[in-house]
Amino acid sequence: MINTEILVIGGGPAGLCAAAEAAEHGAKVLLLDDKDVLGGQLVKQTHMFFGSHLQYAGTRGIDIATLLIENAKKTGVELMPGHTVTGIYEDGVVTALNGGKFIKIKPEKIIVATGAYENMLAFPNSDLPGVYGAGAVQTLMNVNGVAPGNRVLMVGAGNIGLIVAYQLLQAGIDVAAVIEVTDKIGGYYVHANKIRRMGVPILTRHTVKQVWGKKSVEGATVVQVDDKFRPIAGSERNYAVDTVCLAVGLTPLTELLWNAGCEMKYIPALGGHVAWHDENLRTSRENIYVCGDASGIEEASSAMIEGKVAGLNAARTLTRKTNLTQKAYDERLKDLRAQLGQLRRGPFGEKARMGNSVLAGLPPAIDEPIESLPKDYRTFPKGARVVIECEQNIPCNPCEAICPHNAIKVGKDIVNYPQLDPEKCTACALCLTRCPGLSLFVVNKDYSPTETEISLPFEMIPLPRKGDAVDALDRQGNFVCKARVTRVLTGKKFDRTSIVSIAVEHKYADTARHFRVNGTPRLEQKIVAPANIPEDMDAIICVCEDVTRREIEKVIARDRAQSVDEIKRLLRCGMGPCQGKTCQRLIMQILAGKLGRNIAEFLPQTYRGPMKPAPMGILAKAYDEEKN
Amino acid sequence: MKKKTDVVVIGGGCIGAAIAYELAKIGVNDVVLVERDTLSSGATGRCAGGARQQWSEPANVLLAKASIEKFKRFEEEMGRDIGLVNGGYLLCAHTPDEAERFKKNVKMQRECGVDVRIVDPKEINEITPCLNTETIVCGAYCPDDLHADPFLAVQGWAENAMRLGADVELHTEIKGFKKKGNRVVTVLTNRGDIDCNWVVNAAGPWSQDVGRMLGIELGTYAERHQIAVTEPVQRMLWPLVVDFQVAIYFRQSAHGSFVFGHSDPNEKPSYNIRGTWGFLQHISKKLTYMVPSLKDICIVRQWAGLYDMSPDAQPILGKVSDEAENFLVAIGYSGHGFMLAPVTGVLMAELIAYGQARSQPIEPLSIKRFQGAKKHKEHNVV
Repeated sequence: MINTEILVIGGGPAGLCAAAEAAEHGAKVLLLDDKDVLGGQLVKQTHMFFGSHLQYAGTRGIDIATLLIENAKKTGVELMPGHTVTGIYEDGVVTALNGGKFIKIKPEKIIVATGAYENMLAFPNSDLPGVYGAGAVQTLMNVNGVAPGNRVLMVGAGNIGLIVAYQLLQAGIDVAAVIEVTDKIGGYYVHANKIRRMGVPILTRHTVKQVWGKKSVEGATVVQVDDKFRPIAGSERNYAVDTVCLAVGLTPLTELLWNAGCEMKYIPALGGHVAWHDENLRTSRENIYVCGDASGIEEASSAMIEGKVAGLNAARTLTRKTNLTQKAYDERLKDLRAQLGQLRRGPFGEKARMGNSVLAGLPPAIDEPIESLPKDYRTFPKGARVVIECEQNIPCNPCEAICPHNAIKVGKDIVNYPQLDPEKCTACALCLTRCPGLSLFVVNKDYSPTETEISLPFEMIPLPRKGDAVDALDRQGNFVCKARVTRVLTGKKFDRTSIVSIAVEHKYADTARHFRVNGTPRLEQKIVAPANIPEDMDAIICVCEDVTRREIEKVIARDRAQSVDEIKRLLRCGMGPCQGKTCQRLIMQILAGKLGRNIAEFLPQTYRGPMKPAPMGILAKAYDEEKN
Repeated sequence: MKKKTDVVVIGGGCIGAAIAYELAKIGVNDVVLVERDTLSSGATGRCAGGARQQWSEPANVLLAKASIEKFKRFEEEMGRDIGLVNGGYLLCAHTPDEAERFKKNVKMQRECGVDVRIVDPKEINEITPCLNTETIVCGAYCPDDLHADPFLAVQGWAENAMRLGADVELHTEIKGFKKKGNRVVTVLTNRGDIDCNWVVNAAGPWSQDVGRMLGIELGTYAERHQIAVTEPVQRMLWPLVVDFQVAIYFRQSAHGSFVFGHSDPNEKPSYNIRGTWGFLQHISKKLTYMVPSLKDICIVRQWAGLYDMSPDAQPILGKVSDEAENFLVAIGYSGHGFMLAPVTGVLMAELIAYGQARSQPIEPLSIKRFQGAKKHKEHNVV
């Protein structure tokens, strides 16, 4: 039995910050993570992060992981990667498996920072190889260096769908389209703009109807939906793709919290069932804290601060008095809460604000009005300056921090639109390499009597060379004019973002925003779906136990099953190794639809340990060791 | 929900569902089966699903024999596949004393007409090549015993009861009773009251609570028993194996997974059904001792269920008090409810319809037995 004061479960942004915070205040902290490499999802994130410099905004996710791990080590956290937690038991013991060992830990406080898992969609042939979750695609591509396919249909236009589509393009993999079932792009427009100007269409109000293929995906049919999400007949389009990537949202990974007996609440704005928790992130079980996506889906920047809040409070409530004074605690908590409040400002913070209000049983939190207004920087008569094409109130301010001339102002309220002082801007272009949205450009209208030079951030390979002839593209990826590369700037300071300048005729100064190197225009391939796919083909819902949608509908109708547990007992769905992570949400959706009830009325299946399959030989060895 | 019925059966587990079905089958179809949660949500849904005839008490052997016959005809009668594995039961003895007891039991069981025999380690190896027979002296093997999926069986009983006219009311919790003289006249539930002629307490581990609503102490109590299941593997074991020395039982289900559990002698009466990490380690030790080739196979889930224990580990059937003469019980199965459910259904239905159990005497299982001096405790309990 390993004894520790604080056990942190999960080594992603929330867990690493929680552990470091608690250790900094004098607590003995142990952190477990099931992966061999710490950092959680950060290790797959090759893009620069939003937020404020306090959460490493403008730094790439993978580099933030390194910083957080180093910081946790420095504060004295004992890091144990490669350990999968399999249960939190009644006696307060936490069990974990690592390769060949079953270990038991007895902590005084537990901080659950287990993150989230991806939502799945079920459609005919959704079990064909080639249908991936976005997380798997990122792991293959960014961690293992393996291309998941050659041509991808991205499903979902939230930030994950948009970012992964961009990363696929960076890896030289074609993205046929991004489709989104709702009527608007859910992610940041600046992320959408990155792929749009490379010519990838984003179709809202579209969903996957089916995919097909003999042994793996060969194509997909998408269909438009009406405002009740019903497919519109005749609106089908086919894409020849070998990969369908699902980025349709995340669900907090809460099985350990259910297992520990924490009170759970269904809060749609937070992504599903979450453990009830107070402002200090303490759950209904007083020694268990929760933070990051496990406490409600948000951005990594909020997860880091939530982690610090949880770590601070866990340290504060230890029986042994640490070096944390009341005054220091109060000040730190106030500061962290202010940071969290900042990140939850504006339209993108609405879900977190609303979800946390509902959870606390409070009326909806009112967001103070955002003062700044967007200004149109695109047109100006002459000279050279930065053009800011940031169109939403995103909590983000690296441009302000990097500008050596104080020409960009975001202000204390980091959801403000950045404001440019044209008098101060020297068009040095440094800010171009720090904007996570790649939405800053330098436009030099005085480049030559006939030409304007447009400098743009560029994160693709191969880099063009000075003098290359390229096609200039507009914001939707359409051909604008022929152009010439005038400069290519790279440098350590630029952190792998290059600045490429192209010269275009003056009249294209406000339209050209990207370029194509080896220019063949993208062509949408017209293909037809094979005729042998039946119109009403069934779909697999539980992948572990091969249970289909129709079988589930049948037990609802015939056997009067009205809960996930009843369906599980009759059909075994959810009894496989994944313990319902894939199918549970889908089953709730089917139940809600068939019974005409709200999805909030349904409980997930009872979670039972061990949370991950545990080899009996290893468990038996643990028994022997205890006996001796 | 009906406001008036002939029989109210309390409990949607295997016992209640089988009683409702058998009642409806012999024509007493004005029946309401009430269940607090959902079908099989109590002890039944947590049990391992074995059915054997190898008992130390002759009355139990005869009851189990009748049940096994009914299980074998289940699919034909009910139109539902219940994942039946006709693999028999193998009991293992590790000491000469235990072997002697087995021999005595087998003799008695054979006299009851059960196809059971003593097998030596060599034969055990032939029946179950995966079993570690190192310390096994002999076994008692009944190829006629079987195991099945309890969820599907309960579903089968309930849906056939409904087909024959009975009502099944889920999410219906008993709140109390109204009596007139020495008769229960109304069952009070959270969804309304039901006037009735008969009440059957088939509430399993909660039978004691139902009894107390009438001021009757039934002497039953709930006790946690833990159990676990592995990922599915290719068929390697047909019989359900019971080992009283190692204190384990295990079977391989129709689905391929191993289901196994044990009894903890230190378990205290309670409604606690949370699993422990200690069980996980201990049961793995035991199972990998019995079947060494399972060491790399993973446990995917652990859970616990409640035995409805009676003082002598045998069921209590029929009337329990002169103060409530139309209040019947089918309780105290002490971990053997599933295997005795089919015969319980028949006996209780006969008791209600004809005033007595016709196919087998149930007097030995009356609550009155605890008033006498002589007790026959059932030993073959795991």
